[in-house]
Amino acid sequence: MDYDFNFAVVWRNWDLLAQGLGLGLSLAVLSIAIGTGIGLIAAFGMLSKLRPVRWIALAYVSAIRNTPILVLILFTYFALPQMGVRLEKIPSFIFTLSIYAGAYLAEVFRGGLVALPLGLREAGLAIGLTEFRTKIYIIIPVMMRNVLPSLSNNFISLFKDTSLAAVIAVPELTYYARKINVESFRVIETWMVASLIYVAACYIIASLLRRLEARLAIPR
Amino acid sequence: MNMKLVLATTFAALMAAPAVAQDGDKLKEVLDRGYLILGSGSTNPPWHFMDGDNQLTGFDIDMGRLVAKALFGDPDKIEYVQQSGDARIPNLATGKVDLTCQFMTVTAERAQQVEFTIPYYREGVGLLLMEGGDYADYEALKAGGSDVTVAVLQNVYAEEMVHTALPEATVDQYDSVDLMYQALNSGRAEAAATDQSALRWFMVQNPGRYLDAGYGWNPQTYACAVQPGDQRWLNFVNTVLHEGMTGVEFPFYSASFEKWFGTELESPQIGFPVEYK
Repeated sequence: MDYDFNFAVVWRNWDLLAQGLGLGLSLAVLSIAIGTGIGLIAAFGMLSKLRPVRWIALAYVSAIRNTPILVLILFTYFALPQMGVRLEKIPSFIFTLSIYAGAYLAEVFRGGLVALPLGLREAGLAIGLTEFRTKIYIIIPVMMRNVLPSLSNNFISLFKDTSLAAVIAVPELTYYARKINVESFRVIETWMVASLIYVAACYIIASLLRRLEARLAIPR
Repeated sequence: MNMKLVLATTFAALMAAPAVAQDGDKLKEVLDRGYLILGSGSTNPPWHFMDGDNQLTGFDIDMGRLVAKALFGDPDKIEYVQQSGDARIPNLATGKVDLTCQFMTVTAERAQQVEFTIPYYREGVGLLLMEGGDYADYEALKAGGSDVTVAVLQNVYAEEMVHTALPEATVDQYDSVDLMYQALNSGRAEAAATDQSALRWFMVQNPGRYLDAGYGWNPQTYACAVQPGDQRWLNFVNTVLHEGMTGVEFPFYSASFEKWFGTELESPQIGFPVEYK
């Protein structure tokens, strides 16, 4: 390949890239937090004894999990306002990613719940906790420890999905990379740097989660 | 020196000589051939694109048809060479086409490589609004300050371009034209900034839905181009275009203009020539 690399034009805009990365991380953290809540509710819903509850939870997970995230983003941003629901650019994206994260995490949590020994719940009820408190104090903490490895996987995936916010002009990392690319014509350098930033960020997230895993591991 | 060798060298030198036309040759060549070879694109409405019957059509194509009509009395006597934007100058230089009409922006740099005809359109940026939206025209958008969001195709200096016209507006850059229009349709943006021609064409296709804010800026001139060196041919094409815009062929030009840009042109004033006003 006969090409003179010139990273200077990309580094000159490092502040934009840093800003973009910051926004991307904030979008991911918020969406994952909200999505975890939705996912827990949906997981318990899918395992509920009540048929309508089960049905609603299942419908939500199937509908969202089987729609590409890009379509969901475009739908929320462009179609919902015409149906009377108007969220601003960034809330609109957080809403979409949360709903999307919820559907995926619901399946992870459901797997974790099914794997728990029945004795845990019985023990909780036996010492006089209510059904709700048993879930909060016993079921969820134990289940969380078990699913942490697959949760990490989903978190990283969701962080990378924030790159799709560029489509609706949310100024995160990919958006700025594209902007620098268009203005400098340094295609290879720009996308190389953007990729490296994503790799580094994901690596850091993964190692933090792994340390958390190690701390919370159930001694065997 | 061997006579044969001399002949051979002379022949080789002649063959190797660049394909620069002699004065007057091109017009005769085209007339003898019986059809015009026109270079243009096929993917950019309303300039040059395929219609429902897979025929090239558009405003650029009509300019070529005007020249064919002037040459042969028949606008259909054209052989098209479909070329990408970056082939416009090379195909003229190598004589593959007689004439190129392909929304070519006139720049001094290009004028050193090809010879431009007189202009047939002045492109610029305009603002597209929704009919019945909150902002009625350019003045209203300007008064709206940073409350106004303008959707624009992501491009070099896109933000600066919008801020030239609306210094305080919020600029949302999208990476495709359809996303930009969607932003306008869904109320995500109050206006879309795009080429005047694209804006006009969009309005022609969707009557009653959009408004032109009535402000244009960032002018650039579109002209056809020919291979340099044949003044006779250049003069001929210039005369044809000129009479299309001001003289006997005005009905042809104005019908085409109205078809692609939706605007009825005022007939050139009779009496003192309009171009010297």
